[in-house]
Amino acid sequence: MADIPTASNAPPGRKPRAHRMSTRIDFTPMVDLGFLLITFFMLTTTLAKPSLMALVMPDDSGPTKQDVQASKCLTLILGAHDRVYWYAGLNEAQPDSTNFSDTGLRRVILDRMQQVNQKWGLEIHKDPKSGLEKQGSLLYVLIKPEPGSRYRNLVDALDEMAICGVRYYTVM
Amino acid sequence: MPKHKPKRSAPSIDMTAMCDVAFLLLTFFMLTAKAKPQELVVVDTPSSISETKLPDAGTLTIMVDKDGKVFLDMAGQHTRMDLISAMNSTYQMGLTEKEMNVFSIVGGFGVPRNQLKKFLNTEPSERGRFPSAGIPIDSADVNKSELANWIHNARLSQFRMKQEGKVKDEYVIVVKADADTPYPAVQSVINTLVDINVNKFNLITSMEGKPGAEGKK
Repeated sequence: MADIPTASNAPPGRKPRAHRMSTRIDFTPMVDLGFLLITFFMLTTTLAKPSLMALVMPDDSGPTKQDVQASKCLTLILGAHDRVYWYAGLNEAQPDSTNFSDTGLRRVILDRMQQVNQKWGLEIHKDPKSGLEKQGSLLYVLIKPEPGSRYRNLVDALDEMAICGVRYYTVM
Repeated sequence: MPKHKPKRSAPSIDMTAMCDVAFLLLTFFMLTAKAKPQELVVVDTPSSISETKLPDAGTLTIMVDKDGKVFLDMAGQHTRMDLISAMNSTYQMGLTEKEMNVFSIVGGFGVPRNQLKKFLNTEPSERGRFPSAGIPIDSADVNKSELANWIHNARLSQFRMKQEGKVKDEYVIVVKADADTPYPAVQSVINTLVDINVNKFNLITSMEGKPGAEGKK
């Protein structure tokens, strides 16, 4: 396949010289180039696809109001400089503050979730993806971003909801 | 009996087959890769663990840059043509047929309505440097908010195109905001969406690894 057809264009009658060019082509550099380009295209195609995070906002046109027991609630106030202020239930007077690391906010959410679980038990619901029955917490998280916060803080907070498996949360 | 001495040859491998494979794969990746459209605005999205991917077709993207300027981009040439002719007649923007054709393929834009004509007449290579002021949001009155009008009409256009069979689905609304955008800018976009009854939308994020056992106690 890689041979070059050896049609001699020497004048007839003369015998070909003993010195002959090799008719095989070394494909190694071409393969190198090929794989280099493959790597490039593979990396660019997979990295180009961003992911989506669904956000459902409550419909505030209707008269739908839902009362929630204070003992199920956790309020997160996203403040400036990447700080989160939080209080459990209605304990507004003494907010505590933490950061967005996994030992900060996540610990707060999981601790509160445990308290809620002990008091109210777990709720059985159907997982929309698999259709299996699962146990979920009854914790309600209210996320209140303050004007001083950044968009990143909101996404981080929503991300924690997904990580900790909080089913009821709202952005206010 | 003299044994035949095996012929010594240089230890070379025939690369032809490997080369074939390499270029086959290369062709595949080149054809599947989509050319990255020129970004009108640099948006550095925050990261999340979400694994849902952006759908290929039918997205209406609202971009918010670091300074809180709002840009819009929507898919579908037919829809865009329908949208701009509807907007042109409703708001008397005075666009010509040619300018509307440019709009149908221009990609993202972020100018107030009265500057759109100028924006569309800019050379394609100069458009990236056009001083875009962002699409105005009037959070007090949703009927005056240009962003709300654009999104509302774009959804109507997409719906009409769906009935005509030119597109398959209605728009998936996605918000692509910069991680460092002050929250009030994002909030006004979200409020605008809620005002026009778009209660379900998506935030674009980049990938982040899932936390380990620490998170799942």
